Amino acid sequence: MTKSYPNTLTLSRRVLRVLTKLNLLMGALILALLIASLIAESWVMRALGARPAPGNSMLFVGMRLIMVIGLCGVPIVHLILARLLTIIETVSVGNPFVVANAVRLRTIAWAMLGLELTHFAVGTVAALVSTTAAPLNIGWGFSLTRWLAVLMLFVLAQVFEQGARMREDLEGTV
Amino acid sequence: MTMPIIVKVDEMLHERRMTLTELSERIGITLANLSILKTGKARAVRFSTLEAICEALQCQPGDLLEFRHTQEKEAI
Repeated sequence: MTKSYPNTLTLSRRVLRVLTKLNLLMGALILALLIASLIAESWVMRALGARPAPGNSMLFVGMRLIMVIGLCGVPIVHLILARLLTIIETVSVGNPFVVANAVRLRTIAWAMLGLELTHFAVGTVAALVSTTAAPLNIGWGFSLTRWLAVLMLFVLAQVFEQGARMREDLEGTV
Repeated sequence: MTMPIIVKVDEMLHERRMTLTELSERIGITLANLSILKTGKARAVRFSTLEAICEALQCQPGDLLEFRHTQEKEAI
């Protein structure tokens, strides 16, 4: 069991690095799609399954707005992945119980909250522009689990901070 | 950051003609930890540590510890 521990760390580090690159790639693709939708609107919207029709202008605006929100999510995800990677680095050097990691965990919690808000914004935009004639089905759904995860991260950050301070005290005990 | 609580190990050692290394060997606490205690960088002292030092130096805890106001300490 002890042997698998460093392997898990190595695997997590690799997965996070791949995810970081994928996130940036996704951001670049969304940006390209947004620019393309401005240059060749009818072609892009047709490719996305929206037929150009007189009543579809709001739908197109909504789709572009969703792309912009998606772009806003890229730096948030990047922040989460970068902080998580830094936490993993502190584990590999054998000093994870530090106040700095509690701060990182709290940053992740805020970023997750931000991500949930962007998710919520996407759902709102989709609901506003979607009509029965031109429905915008993006598979949006409310997830209590994700909100609970955000709450749990805030609680864990607090616990971590308390633990790190206790450890600091213990370190200064002779 | 040093504490306003002064640990007078140096004075006690000097009075007893004992070195910090000797004390370290007698009580089984590392020289590094005793130095932390001596320089006032320790955040807390275990009763067991205090007991061992008092035993080795034949003194009372009150002989080892002294509280000085921060301003008074800065003046010194």
